[in-house]
Amino acid sequence: MKTYFAGIDIGSTTIKIVLVDADEQQVGDLITPSGSHFRRNTTTAFQALLDRHGIKRQEVEGVVATGYGRKLFREADDVVSEISANAVGARKLGEPHDSVRTIINIGGQDLKVIALDENGNVINFVMNDKCAAGTGRFLEMTARNLEMEVDELGFCHALATGAPLTINSTCTVFAESEIISLLAHGHGKAEVVAGIHYSIARRVGRLAKRLGIHGAVFFDGGPALNSGLVEALEDELMQPLLVPEAPQITTAFGAALLAMDFCRAAGE
Amino acid sequence: MNSLRRAVNKLNLSRFRFYFQMGAFLLLVYGGYLAINIGDQLPAFSCVFNEQRGGSCYLMGFQHQMALPWKQLFTGRGIGVAIGLLTFIGFFLLLNKAWCGFVCPLGTLQDWITMLRRKLRIRYSTYGEPLFRKLSVIKYVLLALLILIPMGMGNSVFGLPRLNEDFSVPFCMICPGRTVLPLFNGDFSQLAIDFSSRTKMILTALGMAVTGIFLAGSFVKKRFFCLFCPMSALHYLFAKAALLRLGKDGAKCTRCGNCYRACDVGLRSIADDVTSKNMVKDDCMMCLKCVEACPEEGCLKVSFLGLPVYESTEAGFFKRMGKRANGK
Amino acid sequence: MENERFARLGKSTMRHLAMEARETLQRLADFPDNPAAMSLFYQFFSALFTGNHSLPEAKPIIGVMCAQAPLELIHAAGATPLRLCSGAYAYEQAGAEFMPAKSCPLVKATVGMLHVNRALWGDALKSVVIPTTCDQKKKSVDFLTDMGFPVYALEMPPAKESDVARFYWQESVKQFALDLGGITGRKITRQSMRAGIGKVQQGSWLFRKLHELRRTDPPLLLGKDAMLVTNGWFLMEHDSWCAAVTQLIAELEQRRKNAMPAGKRLAPRLLLTGSPPVFPNLKVPLLVEQAGAVIVTDEVCSSSRLLYDAVSYDEGTLDEMVGAVADRSLKPCTCPCLTANRDRLRKIMELTEKFAVDGVVYHALAGCLPYEMEQRQVGKALSAAGIPMLYLETDYSPEDLGQLSTRIEAFIESIKARKRRK
Repeated sequence: MKTYFAGIDIGSTTIKIVLVDADEQQVGDLITPSGSHFRRNTTTAFQALLDRHGIKRQEVEGVVATGYGRKLFREADDVVSEISANAVGARKLGEPHDSVRTIINIGGQDLKVIALDENGNVINFVMNDKCAAGTGRFLEMTARNLEMEVDELGFCHALATGAPLTINSTCTVFAESEIISLLAHGHGKAEVVAGIHYSIARRVGRLAKRLGIHGAVFFDGGPALNSGLVEALEDELMQPLLVPEAPQITTAFGAALLAMDFCRAAGE
Repeated sequence: MNSLRRAVNKLNLSRFRFYFQMGAFLLLVYGGYLAINIGDQLPAFSCVFNEQRGGSCYLMGFQHQMALPWKQLFTGRGIGVAIGLLTFIGFFLLLNKAWCGFVCPLGTLQDWITMLRRKLRIRYSTYGEPLFRKLSVIKYVLLALLILIPMGMGNSVFGLPRLNEDFSVPFCMICPGRTVLPLFNGDFSQLAIDFSSRTKMILTALGMAVTGIFLAGSFVKKRFFCLFCPMSALHYLFAKAALLRLGKDGAKCTRCGNCYRACDVGLRSIADDVTSKNMVKDDCMMCLKCVEACPEEGCLKVSFLGLPVYESTEAGFFKRMGKRANGK
Repeated sequence: MENERFARLGKSTMRHLAMEARETLQRLADFPDNPAAMSLFYQFFSALFTGNHSLPEAKPIIGVMCAQAPLELIHAAGATPLRLCSGAYAYEQAGAEFMPAKSCPLVKATVGMLHVNRALWGDALKSVVIPTTCDQKKKSVDFLTDMGFPVYALEMPPAKESDVARFYWQESVKQFALDLGGITGRKITRQSMRAGIGKVQQGSWLFRKLHELRRTDPPLLLGKDAMLVTNGWFLMEHDSWCAAVTQLIAELEQRRKNAMPAGKRLAPRLLLTGSPPVFPNLKVPLLVEQAGAVIVTDEVCSSSRLLYDAVSYDEGTLDEMVGAVADRSLKPCTCPCLTANRDRLRKIMELTEKFAVDGVVYHALAGCLPYEMEQRQVGKALSAAGIPMLYLETDYSPEDLGQLSTRIEAFIESIKARKRRK
């Protein structure tokens, strides 16, 4: 019988599930909106992923839950904070292998910077304060204000010909009125979008500088799919970022690897 | 062994010290009656002018030796001087400054005067640290004079005329040990001014004045005289090599100042210095009241040849202080 | 109109206070195998905060707003000391009406508490003693005077190294001793002073015993309970506190014999430093221990800084004893309101070694700049010694609980990972 391990990242916006096999290879993944019933949605999604790959529940030896809703999913064998899981995932996925020393993660409602030592241990981390300024939610809101989809933001950014416009606030409420007034003054959407990306990048940069940036920087979380934001952040940090192919699932992937670790540690 | 050590650390050391001082006083002031003589090079004021002493202060012999013409120092007499000095150092290294805190009769006497004042419920006076540091120079000046004046008698220093014989043992002439200690044997003869020559008159008159200051001073200020003691200055030259030591583990110190307040000679370093290991500073007389006042486990430690003798402990501190809070 | 509004403020504050206290007590009790003697403390806090927040029976009462005020003197003057520093979010909200938004929640809550209860407490509080430590406490002198409280500003120097600072503080405390006699009508004497010192020393002795029981591996008492016990020191009546702690110590000694530790084996051992957690704001200690670590020791002014140091005196004259008490509350003090505060680093380093600490949680109440600023130097010293530190800036509001718990759990996971590899 083959054995598998699952990592489930229950975020504020989406649930991410990753299955790995005993060789640490990713077997499958699934992303689904969190909705209002975290627990039920997680269970359903997990079963759906297993069915899709024809894997029986008994074959999954360990399940680790992480993310903001981690404690709500009681089927998990273990629970870890998203910071630890993110660190493990980023170390594995960042090329070259095990080189990542700083992680920037932008989630649906939070924003964190994690510093790792050369062995991948979390040595320090900072998170945004109570509010969701500059996070995925903020990008969604901005896209809605500009009447486009979130995944169009990156493309739109690339269209900017003039200098990005200054957006002073990354607070959803205040930024909205700033955007409306900029558009009313006849500025182009592309410049506004670029301005938004730069203002988020500045905020992230401030947070990162508090920790000090060492070595390779890994950028993940849904907003890492936004090429405009990546560019702005690279400019702000003055160095290239490692962005994985599927940046949303690195934390879930890390949790799956941790599930394997825990099973092996328990077996010893 | 460990339980013995614990018991020792819980000891009320001040009481032990009181009896020890009493014993030492009896031995040194009255030892002669039992034909006891523990030596003539003692690093404590056991005065030679006291007929029934049980041992003698080194300073008198030392002053006599300093008065030798320099040429003689390179003959057999020089060896005698060296042996005397080495014996003195030997005695001293054994107990370090505890000679002052536990043995010196003149020190004990001052502690008794302090007790009298306490009984009379009179407050002691306190002074800031800087004053003490300024005063501590005086004893080195006295030590220098104590060597230079006798030298001036035996030799012509810098071509100056030699001082006359009346300058003999100049420090003894002004030392309160000479006037006070014989009193304990009913000998009042030193309590006088010698009019035989002008030099002697001045020196003995000065001696009487110093005696007065000694009595009055130690009534107001704990261990008043010790601040000016040239013996203490001589001690300090060798204190770093002594076997009995007072050490401190600075990491454990909270700088609460209990030890500083307990210190009769106002050494602030005992509380504020967290880097030095050796706490026997100039003026310290190793009365060890600081160790008693310290509530930190193993912060202040007395050791002999590296072996622990007495150290500050939490249990000892609270036992001693608890008794006092209950009015004992 | 104004009166009605004030009455409503009082009523709603009391309701929120009771809710908050009940929730915290629930969380405190929600650990397996709490020592039975802890229920004495749970009951005391429950009774105090869920009814009308009334003052102790023993009179006269002298309120103090800082650990710096020497309690020995208040005992010696025949009064009951009561620490006023509040940890209640309900009171903080009441204080927020007239205090700047960015001021320290502890000061806000304390001023708010006095504001809400001024009618009830006005006569019972013979004095509100405010040592002039941090700026915000200094500024509350005028606030509280205007409210009609008999405020006593106990002048304290901003430094402690120089002789001048020491003498200034001693003179200030001596004057306080004289004035206290006038306030309570009972002059401080040699005997009463000795007894006052004895009382505080008894507290210190009991605290040190508890301290020792937390040092064992695994520790016998959780930090959240230790925090509640030390909070009790400045709120409970002296004898009942001593009796309760004695009982707790006896029970823990018994548990030691039966090998019944409070923390799990290999649970990360943490030191808590920074702003004081005062009931009901036991947010940080509770989150830390709910996440599986144990707070084995602390460097905060509601606990070790308040109770650890013990005073000694030589001849026992009144003057000397008052001076000694003054020294006790200044010289070993590691409050960041003092300038040149290297002693705090030394203290933290000593505690990390003595208690075999795996990590440090640095708790700063948002608005307390001195703590926020010292975070850097403490973090630097710790990282040089290879000890990880988590810096948490938070206030009394429960809003950031989720965020805090993620950060705390990640910190604890990283320590566990570190320990596993060792």
